[in-house]
Amino acid sequence: MAAMTQSAKPKRSFGEWLRSRDGQKVLVMIAFMIIPLLLLFVFTYLPFAEMFGFSFYNMKYNGKRTFVGLTNYIKVFQRDDCFGALKLSLYYMGGSIVQLVLALYLATVLSFKVKGGSIFKGFMFFPYLINGIAIGFIFKFFYTRGFVFDTVLQWCGFQLDNLPYWLRDQKINNISLVGTSVWRYFGQNMVLFIGAIMSVDAELYEAAMLDGANRFQQFKYIIMPSIKTIITLNVILSITGSLSAFEPPYVITSGANGTGTYFVVMHEIAHTQQKVGLASAMAIVLLAIIFVATILQKLFFKYVFKSADDENLNATARRDKKLAKYVARKNNKLAGKAVR
Amino acid sequence: MKLRKVLALGMAAMMTLSLVACGNGNSSNDGATTQQASDTNSDNGGATDTSDGAAPAEGVPTYSQVNVGTDYTDLTASIKWIHHKTDREEDGTIANLIAEFNKVYPNITVETEAVTDYAEDSLLRLSTGAWGDIMFIPAIDKSEMGTYFQPLDSLANMSKEINFADAYEFGGTSYGVPYMANAQGVLYNKAVFEAAGITELPTTPTEFLTDLQLIKDNTDAIPLYTNYAAGWTMGAWDAYIGIVTDGDNTFMNQKFAHTASPFEDPGDDTGIYNLYRILYDAVANGLIEDDYTTTDWEGCKGMLNRGEIGTMVLGSWAYAQMVEAGDHGDDVGYMPFPMTVGGTQYVAAGGDYNFGINVNSSDDNKTAAMVFIKWMTEESGWCYFEGGYTVDINGENPPMYQAFNGCTVMSDQPALPGEETLLDDMNSESELSFNAGGNSKVQRIVEAAATGSETLDDIMADWTKDWNDAQATLGVEVNN
Repeated sequence: MAAMTQSAKPKRSFGEWLRSRDGQKVLVMIAFMIIPLLLLFVFTYLPFAEMFGFSFYNMKYNGKRTFVGLTNYIKVFQRDDCFGALKLSLYYMGGSIVQLVLALYLATVLSFKVKGGSIFKGFMFFPYLINGIAIGFIFKFFYTRGFVFDTVLQWCGFQLDNLPYWLRDQKINNISLVGTSVWRYFGQNMVLFIGAIMSVDAELYEAAMLDGANRFQQFKYIIMPSIKTIITLNVILSITGSLSAFEPPYVITSGANGTGTYFVVMHEIAHTQQKVGLASAMAIVLLAIIFVATILQKLFFKYVFKSADDENLNATARRDKKLAKYVARKNNKLAGKAVR
Repeated sequence: MKLRKVLALGMAAMMTLSLVACGNGNSSNDGATTQQASDTNSDNGGATDTSDGAAPAEGVPTYSQVNVGTDYTDLTASIKWIHHKTDREEDGTIANLIAEFNKVYPNITVETEAVTDYAEDSLLRLSTGAWGDIMFIPAIDKSEMGTYFQPLDSLANMSKEINFADAYEFGGTSYGVPYMANAQGVLYNKAVFEAAGITELPTTPTEFLTDLQLIKDNTDAIPLYTNYAAGWTMGAWDAYIGIVTDGDNTFMNQKFAHTASPFEDPGDDTGIYNLYRILYDAVANGLIEDDYTTTDWEGCKGMLNRGEIGTMVLGSWAYAQMVEAGDHGDDVGYMPFPMTVGGTQYVAAGGDYNFGINVNSSDDNKTAAMVFIKWMTEESGWCYFEGGYTVDINGENPPMYQAFNGCTVMSDQPALPGEETLLDDMNSESELSFNAGGNSKVQRIVEAAATGSETLDDIMADWTKDWNDAQATLGVEVNN
């Protein structure tokens, strides 16, 4: 670009260049870039850098700060409650698998012609639109002894005495909480899947049907490979989301009774115990964990989808082999007949 | 065409510039929290220019110098007060109080703002500097009082005017006046007690537990409602430590941090151990609500009022709300905490939120704020109306405190000079946070008792370890 401007007019002042078409281009580019970049910097990277700095200090919100080096990070790894809380993420990860399978199943069903499909889509997407805090309150009453959930189960013939305490029993209270998050997010996943499935060429189904493929085979060989990007994305988002689960335990049980996830513990340490440095270190450690989890998943999916393609190739090869065998046998038979 | 381009560019430039300005603003506020001393004179922005003319030349009077009703009646000022009493703002109580105030001081305009999430919000606003003139002092370390708040008077003068003058005292100066005071006792339903056959109020933890069992056996009421789910209602148990558990008003702020084993069972139904033993045993014996994880704070008020709940362990501030929550207000009673130390039942009383005045306000606004605070304390009757223990030293107590006759009422003594922040530091370091939002440690007692996962001795041993570790980390001198 510089060469061009120079060849057009060897000696142009900066002001002239600015007014030229090229100058304008560059200016507009900078003007458009600088706003989002500044927003990103001021509201994301700058606070993050501050927090990163905090993690090396022993400090409260107000008052003196003392530099303690890596002590906060060492504490994060030494404390039981920090990494113990991460175990709860397993519940949420399990929940996210259920949620994705359910979403994928419903998305597949609904992307074929179903009566009242739009209404179902609407109903199932609706929970995602509700505010997370409101959902927390809804489920607090939903799970209260003798309230909504117990009543519904009693209609189905359960006895109240045989039902567990959904939030009190430490064996199942995390599952109850995960249930709320599945309920909230599966509709959103479903809509994303439907969107992706819509983009699959309908002729492919027709062709597959002519070849005698049933619905499941269509799903396995046409839909799955076509939407693998969106599946990968959804899985990664759900897993990282499970690592940082916060709203259900915070609103419904306030993290008590063995439901305190990593985020809730972090909140408690930062705001109740006022150990801001330690909480910042926890946040950085969580960030690292999420990075690692994301990279691992990327590698995993690379492997899974690659082998899926291989399998297709194998299948073709096998089919060819079978065909060859069949032809050979037929030829042999024909040859035999001829001999006889 | 060209003009439009120039305009667009100009706009873009302005937007970026304003963003940069925002960034600068943010960072200077960050600085404010660390080096407040340097920016006290730069931050008074909007608050200063509200009053002009009719200003007495001299500085701000101290609390004891103001004679309510006679001094400063012609003062013109406009002050802003931020507070947490959203319910009283909505039902018009505060507007009525200010209307009464304006009958005596017609030229002082009081603007109010009720903040819902007060405990956290007020801290944030405090660091910005320009929040108004009067606020209820949030949880900040005492050593920083002077950075944010106007000294009201010396502690000696203040003690002659009000009870609980030492709540926000630092270096012999008072910075706050409580708007009302709470006595720490136990809420109970008189009708339930009668139906259960309890004729005398319990005075020891063992008697209390026996009475709870009686309520369970003889009535349908829940003997002790924990309010576990709300969280802060569990932390409320901490309020009895010191005066009630040991009959010692220096324990909480002076001795606690230095005690090697504060959670030991003294064996005579007193001490912190037996305070929490009430909770543990009540849960273990099924004397609480069925499903404690789904308790409902708003709902429990009506339940106590109707006699579906026997007792609740909460400060006296809750009394008025329980009375108002239904038709059986007469049944709601308040009794001293059932613990007797050396033959005497002690009652801890202390100020609720304290009025504090912005140190960055103009002199006129500070004076007006001082007058307003003193009027609120001495003349408004707000404290009596709320069922509070009197703040004004000459004030009168509401009739709900009948059962407290014969008890010794005390308030916690302030920390020793040089150790003002020691308890805060210990609370933070040990993560037990006594009287500072440490709800989860009390919730743990309920969980342990309900599931049988830990005994009370296990928990107390754990707390002792945390406490001792914190003492070691902070280098606190430990006495036995």
